[in-house]
Amino acid sequence: MNILVLNCGSSSVKYKLLDMASNEELGTGGVEKIGMKGSFLKHIRRDGQKVILKGEILEHQLAIEYILGVLTSEKHGAIKSLEEIDAVGHRVVHGGEKFNSSVLITDEVIQRIVECIDIAPLHNPPNLAGIYAINELLPSVPQVAVFDTAFHQTMPDYAYMYGIPYSLYTKYGIRRYGFHGTSHRYVSKRACEFLGMDYSNTKMITAHIGNGASVCAIQNGKSVDTSMGFTPVEGLMMGTRSGDIDLGIVTFLMEKEMIGASYVSTLFNKHSGVLGVSGISSDMRDIENAIKDGNERARLALDMYEYRIKKYIGSYTAALNGIDVLVFTGGVGENQTKSRQKICESLAFMGVEIDKELNAVSRGKEVLLSTPNSKVKVVIIPTDEEFMIAKDTLEIVEKK
Amino acid sequence: MAEEIIEAIERYGLSKRNRKRTLFSRIGVVGCGKEGSLIATTAAFSGMEVVFLEVNEEGIATAYKRIEAKLDKKISNWGLTENEKKVIMGRITGTSNYEDFSGCDFVIEAIRYHDNTGVRRIAQRKEVFKELERVLSVSAIIASNVSTVIVTDLAAELEHTDRCIGLHFLSNVPDSQIIEIVPGLNTSNETFEKVCQFARMINYDYIPVMESSGLVSIRMFLIQLNEACGILMEGISSVEDIDKVLTVGFGHRQGVFRTADQMGIEKIVRLLENLWDEYGSLKYKPSPVILRLFRAKHFGVSTNRGFYTYDEQGNILK
Repeated sequence: MNILVLNCGSSSVKYKLLDMASNEELGTGGVEKIGMKGSFLKHIRRDGQKVILKGEILEHQLAIEYILGVLTSEKHGAIKSLEEIDAVGHRVVHGGEKFNSSVLITDEVIQRIVECIDIAPLHNPPNLAGIYAINELLPSVPQVAVFDTAFHQTMPDYAYMYGIPYSLYTKYGIRRYGFHGTSHRYVSKRACEFLGMDYSNTKMITAHIGNGASVCAIQNGKSVDTSMGFTPVEGLMMGTRSGDIDLGIVTFLMEKEMIGASYVSTLFNKHSGVLGVSGISSDMRDIENAIKDGNERARLALDMYEYRIKKYIGSYTAALNGIDVLVFTGGVGENQTKSRQKICESLAFMGVEIDKELNAVSRGKEVLLSTPNSKVKVVIIPTDEEFMIAKDTLEIVEKK
Repeated sequence: MAEEIIEAIERYGLSKRNRKRTLFSRIGVVGCGKEGSLIATTAAFSGMEVVFLEVNEEGIATAYKRIEAKLDKKISNWGLTENEKKVIMGRITGTSNYEDFSGCDFVIEAIRYHDNTGVRRIAQRKEVFKELERVLSVSAIIASNVSTVIVTDLAAELEHTDRCIGLHFLSNVPDSQIIEIVPGLNTSNETFEKVCQFARMINYDYIPVMESSGLVSIRMFLIQLNEACGILMEGISSVEDIDKVLTVGFGHRQGVFRTADQMGIEKIVRLLENLWDEYGSLKYKPSPVILRLFRAKHFGVSTNRGFYTYDEQGNILK
């Protein structure tokens, strides 16, 4: 069975075509700059050859049309006709409280995703555009929606509610939703498989740390708390997002700098985090290089970034009454050996101990980093959201 | 592995589907002064490609500088990032050739007031409309950024008057995102609807306004300004205190004198005279206080002196 996974952003569409029987990637890539000057499609063939297709791509439907065109083309494609696509899995950012798992897309489901636009005005509309496009281009192919928020719907109310008037929850749905759910679910499950542990009887913390970053506390296979909240700006300090911040600062700045809601949002989402503190970049590789050159603010940014991760792991260890497994994933989590070491060393108080030499050479692959003496198993599990989306899609379509 | 293969995408399309450009993917602006540059920047910020026309190379260079300054200000206020600025600048192209508007489905004429006298150049604007009609397709919309000028008048000599419409971007208070949309006598419903859609696409509020001199915004503002000048003249209160009543007491973002200085006293005098001509009501007669500033060439922020005194950055000194 061939499954096409689509991840539609505001001006991009990422895709992956997977043969689920052989677990093989048939083709992958993405369209960038939709509706802008210089739009292009980058396709990576099964043989690894990169192909760039340049031209005007004005909207999501057209982007997806070109993706299907490339995948079925004689020259660069992987399949002969569109009939060879058996199902399409979509990443949908916000499922609100309406979805606690992946679902087959029906008219009713679409309606409910539309209802979530209010709380995810930037993300859900392009996701929907992808669904509409497939409806039109492949009308008989089943589609599945996999939500970023669904995994966290198991959080208890005392973890997802904010300490503000309850009426705001009933009126606007203001609560913690959490994001990166597909990633946290994939790496936690995969870690247990890798370690030969029982997923339904394990306490773990997954740290998805990259440019966007969140930590999740998982008890017996269920998310019980996560650091991102109503929006992805809460929690850890990130590439350009501030993470947790005293609300007093927001109102103070609005007054002092005479700025309104949209400027405040840009300030905390795009000007802050590692970029804002260092004044250099949101990319950890640039930060590392700057530290080597003796840049103090780069060092400060990295210290803050790591300290926040440690704090969250500490607090979630308390929330879970101790943990069995700590998982690192995401661009930084998988590749930034020094940060991993520093964070793990700072967790020695709770019995974390890693093999430093092994850690120093481990990048982007599944590895058990902790020593046999360590009270907590520490692993790297590279995230694979597309695979998880494809797997959910397969399961749901087969059940149909 | 060989290097990347680069090809054109068109042959990978699936269907024979009509692949016409989406509405407003490319728009034009004639005259890139204060209002024109606001329109160009706003549209480019919303992802549209923008072509603006200025009379010569110097005009184009000045316009680019003006746009860049606008964006830099936004960055320093935290409302934009350097990368976003680059993307926006990349969408804006200056020209002094009308032919470059071909392919635009919407062109807005925003010729600025004459720098020294504040006079709007009606004959010239009619010429602009004619030039636009020459280079644009029949379905393209031709709009004029108007406040006291009547769009039906501007469009009168065109062949297709149904696609002409008036717009008024309020540009005096930063980030005031509202447009007055003014259909002329011959404007079609389709044109009106499309322009409403344009407003939604650039994330602006809009109100439809019947064709009239001064619309809603200018009439409301000028009357209030004239009355404020009256209060000033009678010695009842001061410039600062009158503005304070409006900002603190009535929740206005800024006071009427501050706004007047930003608009430019020379422009205000012309606007009032236009309304006075049109309606013949004394309430539109420019207050002697305004005329005194006008004659002294204290035009407001642009000359560092108006109702208030300003530094080079436009901050109030006193």
